[in-house]
Amino acid sequence: MSDTVQWDKTISDVNEGILKGVEGRPHPTYYIALVFALTLLAIGITGWGLIVSFGIGLSGKSSPVYWGTFITDFVFWVGIGHAGTLISAILFLFRAKWRNSINRSAEAMTVFAVITAGLFPLIHMGRVWNGFWTLPLPNTNNMWVNFRSPLLWDVFAISTYLTVSLLFWYMGLVPDIASLRDRVKGFKRFVYGILSLGWTGNIRQWHHYETGYGFLAALSTPLVLSVHSIVSWDFAMALQPGWHTTIFPPYFVAGAILSGCAMVYNLVVPVRKMFRLEGFIKEEHLEACLKLTLLTSTIVAYAYAIEFFIAWYSGSYYEWAIFKGRATGPYSFYFWTMTFCNCVFPLLLWSRKIRYNIPVAMVICFLINIGMWFERYNIVISSLAEDFLPGSWGHYEPSIIDMCMTFGSFGWFFSWFLVFTKFFPFVSMSELKLIMPKPLRRKPTH
Amino acid sequence: MTTKTAGILALFDYLDDVEAALETIKGRPEFKDHILYSHTSYHELVHHAEERYGPSQVRWFTLTGALTGATTGFWLPILCDLDFPLIVGGKSPAFNSLPPNLIFIFELFVLFGALATILGMLWLGRLGNPHARILDNRLMDDKFGIFVPGAQVDGEEASLLKSQGAFEIKKTS
Repeated sequence: MSDTVQWDKTISDVNEGILKGVEGRPHPTYYIALVFALTLLAIGITGWGLIVSFGIGLSGKSSPVYWGTFITDFVFWVGIGHAGTLISAILFLFRAKWRNSINRSAEAMTVFAVITAGLFPLIHMGRVWNGFWTLPLPNTNNMWVNFRSPLLWDVFAISTYLTVSLLFWYMGLVPDIASLRDRVKGFKRFVYGILSLGWTGNIRQWHHYETGYGFLAALSTPLVLSVHSIVSWDFAMALQPGWHTTIFPPYFVAGAILSGCAMVYNLVVPVRKMFRLEGFIKEEHLEACLKLTLLTSTIVAYAYAIEFFIAWYSGSYYEWAIFKGRATGPYSFYFWTMTFCNCVFPLLLWSRKIRYNIPVAMVICFLINIGMWFERYNIVISSLAEDFLPGSWGHYEPSIIDMCMTFGSFGWFFSWFLVFTKFFPFVSMSELKLIMPKPLRRKPTH
Repeated sequence: MTTKTAGILALFDYLDDVEAALETIKGRPEFKDHILYSHTSYHELVHHAEERYGPSQVRWFTLTGALTGATTGFWLPILCDLDFPLIVGGKSPAFNSLPPNLIFIFELFVLFGALATILGMLWLGRLGNPHARILDNRLMDDKFGIFVPGAQVDGEEASLLKSQGAFEIKKTS
């Protein structure tokens, strides 16, 4: 793909162009975005402070819905964290060159999204200071760990995913931090010197780095597919109607990649402008990301359709009642928002013109993210609210505090992301150079 | 490390010049300890490293870590179950309910494998040294370099590298 990209920059422009943003001042919109993110974060902290002070009853949870928006947020953010490693690892193994310009941002997104997700089980418990009791410390504290519980599988899956994504991201950063170290002075040089681990760029280092990076990609690839499969088992292993289906793992994985790719687009486009990186993150790279978004949107649409069909075809009364209820019952607004945002609006991306129209594509990706949040809300809430016994049915609406926490999570995520973009190279310089024309004295003849 | 000794650093602008220089100095005893520097991992140069140093041993770290992880993932739930046989859904634990253990085997296989890979990259690449000597800042930017320990700026090695396209030869101490 990048073979056809018309580069107006050369390899010599890469470090200068990308590190200019780190060393100098970004566009004023960066500061506006940061203030906005911090405001959202403050809203979230206020909501959490109220929960800690007055109790978990402030959230909208009540019988029979004890998994409310906090678990919705958890699943949403794990899903967002999905595309990062997909772009870094799977596309690396497939040698998809376009990934080299956006993989750093996707990896950063993964790490911050998974950290954000990890907050929600703790918040959901209410008494967060007792959170350490949930650590899967085998047979200590008289906590007899149930290794057959999907919740424990989830703890292992997500902590492994976070650790491996963090290592993958950091190792990718090392050569670029070394470039930064050699350009700055004083305390900054000291800090970047430590973070660069003494990288000098000698070929022995590159040799082991390349091999190790390949292994990390190979190890991460099944991890990408397993993490959201295991998250889906939190639901699918339960006998709840609407949850207990075998389609959940691939359906969750496709949905996660869809939301992750849309979020990458929503993040990269503004930051590309703020740090003047248009010469390095080309429209062709963004278009490739949109193609992946479109592909996963069609998979998600297929999953929605087949889920509905099987609910009817299976002849299970309870299953069909849940699905009918989702489309026509009290949660139908969420259902139709989800369907339109995830399956209908992305169809516009079939048009090449729209894929190259950045503002329109931004709106579509934004709508996909809204749709994916509603998808998780739809799955979590509608199944819990109406199960087998009508006598135990109830209704759930998120409280103001729930919404504060959801907006706060966006603030938390965006704040970390924006801080990262200011202090570290947003584009992987060493990898970008690999997809640009090689510095050759004797030009290749084709 | 040899980089601590004095010598010369030849700087190159072009990848094909460095490749040609590497071909020329291959097998010459005076260049036996040369060190090549690059700002990115061009396949051609990594291939040269593979010829010189052999296949990277990082793979053994990965394998050892992954197998250790898989073994840990297998035994952890079993030993915990033997310590406290928690019966779930009427199934007796430990060796009689192995399928869920696959998840722990897989997760720890990946986790330990990744950690060991990083360890291998750090150890074999001599990383983790904040006082590593930086010969020239341009090597991180867009230049290539060949460092020859013990050589002189006006020596035969320098003129050979110059004839291969080095645009600058500098003394390093």
